[in-house]
Amino acid sequence: MARPVAIPDARGRTALSGLHLLERPSVLGPVLVAPAILYILVLVGYPFVLAVYLSMTNTDVATTGLGRFVGLDNFLALFQTEVFWTALRNTLMFTLVSAVLKGLLGTLLAFLLAENLPGTRIFRFVILLPWTIPIALSSITWKWMFDTQYSIINWIGKNIGLIQGNPNWLGDQTLAVISIIAVNVWRGFPFSAIILLAGMASISQEVLDAAKVDGAGPVTRLRKIIVPMIAPILFVGSLYDLVFTMTDMTVVYLLTLGGPANTTHVLASLAFLVGVQSGALGRGAAIALLLLPILLIVVFITLRTLRRRDI
Amino acid sequence: MAALAAAYQPRRPSRLRHVRKRALVYAGLCFYAFIAGLPVYWMFITTFKPDQDLYNLRAFPLFFNQHGVTLDHITLLFNRTGFVVWMRNTLVVAFAVVLITLLVSVPAGYALARLRFRGAESLTIGIFMTYLVPTTLLFLPLVKVISWMGQFDKLGALILAYPTFTIPFCTWLMAGFFKTIPFEIEEAAMIDGCSRLGAIRRVILPLSLAGMLTVGIFAFTLSMQDFVYALTFVSSSDQKVVNIGVVTELIRGDVFYWGSLMAGALIAGVPVAILYSFFLDYFVKGITGGAVK
Repeated sequence: MARPVAIPDARGRTALSGLHLLERPSVLGPVLVAPAILYILVLVGYPFVLAVYLSMTNTDVATTGLGRFVGLDNFLALFQTEVFWTALRNTLMFTLVSAVLKGLLGTLLAFLLAENLPGTRIFRFVILLPWTIPIALSSITWKWMFDTQYSIINWIGKNIGLIQGNPNWLGDQTLAVISIIAVNVWRGFPFSAIILLAGMASISQEVLDAAKVDGAGPVTRLRKIIVPMIAPILFVGSLYDLVFTMTDMTVVYLLTLGGPANTTHVLASLAFLVGVQSGALGRGAAIALLLLPILLIVVFITLRTLRRRDI
Repeated sequence: MAALAAAYQPRRPSRLRHVRKRALVYAGLCFYAFIAGLPVYWMFITTFKPDQDLYNLRAFPLFFNQHGVTLDHITLLFNRTGFVVWMRNTLVVAFAVVLITLLVSVPAGYALARLRFRGAESLTIGIFMTYLVPTTLLFLPLVKVISWMGQFDKLGALILAYPTFTIPFCTWLMAGFFKTIPFEIEEAAMIDGCSRLGAIRRVILPLSLAGMLTVGIFAFTLSMQDFVYALTFVSSSDQKVVNIGVVTELIRGDVFYWGSLMAGALIAGVPVAILYSFFLDYFVKGITGGAVK
């Protein structure tokens, strides 16, 4: 425990009266929170401000300081490149399409798990694997599953008659997009289900019973009672999920590296490519920073949609 | 949950309908389990299948074939790659991150949950919002900050960087945990002559050991979910953590060592998944904690 006892009093009082002061919530509170705030200021707050500044400089990895101030040049140059617009479109599309699919798959799953039949715990463990296994390790596994020659997806697909030929999942532009969305959905649907389950558990039985007596079917109960009642949980859950899907670069980086022909980049992977692999920190920071307004818009829309559903 | 499940059942289900419904639920769960479990099963099969069968298009891929089971991929992973070093690095980083997180989050969580002081409310929200600041927004400026601290391409880089997301989340989690300990217990200790600090030490901390364990586990599993920081801040092989080592060093040019790659993913990934699963309910509480009472 980092007990704050050792912190010397600024006004030079004795240790004893310092201890005495700590008995007051108005003193002890800030003292106990201070390390957390300090850590966040130095390693989140400051880098955040630095990100804004970096995006307006020509800093690269070789620069020891912060490079030269170039105003909005990085952004303007970025807007001229095609790959930026592709990455922007992909970021939005991947996030939204996978959010919808995750929501659908997750909702159905939540109802299945809520039945709580014998064996649900084991099913739960297996079904949660996509969410609990570190994303880098599962992404590389998917790359192997999408292999050009030994793809297990193709083998299964062919044997149940769903796939013909030998589709090159990560080498074809459209298929690569589908693959990335599929992995995002695979990774995220258990989380949607779990969040929904947590919400459903918080609804009182009486309300549901009353609705049933009044003749509300399952769909009506979901739309008119469950969703509005758990809107706050859904809001936090989807916010969390959207933020992390939208800013994730792991799936794209490991599956396609942005290829084929730069068609599958998202802003995060492009920022990595430009900022780290090409070493143009300033330009990369500009790309990463552009995630921010998009994030804020998404947060705003999510908030409004869920508010409107509130009774 | 059982009560909730009952709500979705028809009032007087006939035996047949009941059985049919159960069968449908199990069928649905099996479908989900297949989708969710296939990649992990594939890791497992690949890990133990000899190359002759692995790269034989005529061999049945979903199980072992004529050449049986091999430990070659695992041997290669342990003897000819830095896997053991990466595992050790991961443990060092995890231990340090858990320690820092506990030292910072437990006091902060206590203060936010229990003590009334100016700005406590907005600090609580602010700390949670910090958790939503994505790593991909910060990784480039952090390259600079970490170089200035002399930690670039060292384990120290990750030890410094990971608490930026574990501290906010765990503080939030700890605050929720402290709220569940009744005020009266602390008050009773203080009436019995304990100072507040004494009450914290003698009563509150022992009662929150379970919470601290949970927080420690999350500091670890959240760190294991990172990819961007580890990929950006560390490039020397002997300083890598396991999930980066596995996905970067078992690919030489165009050659993927799939057997060893999957072995690494399996050995590093499954323990994390098990730990995470065990504590997932707390994770959900941590995220939704502010949304429900």
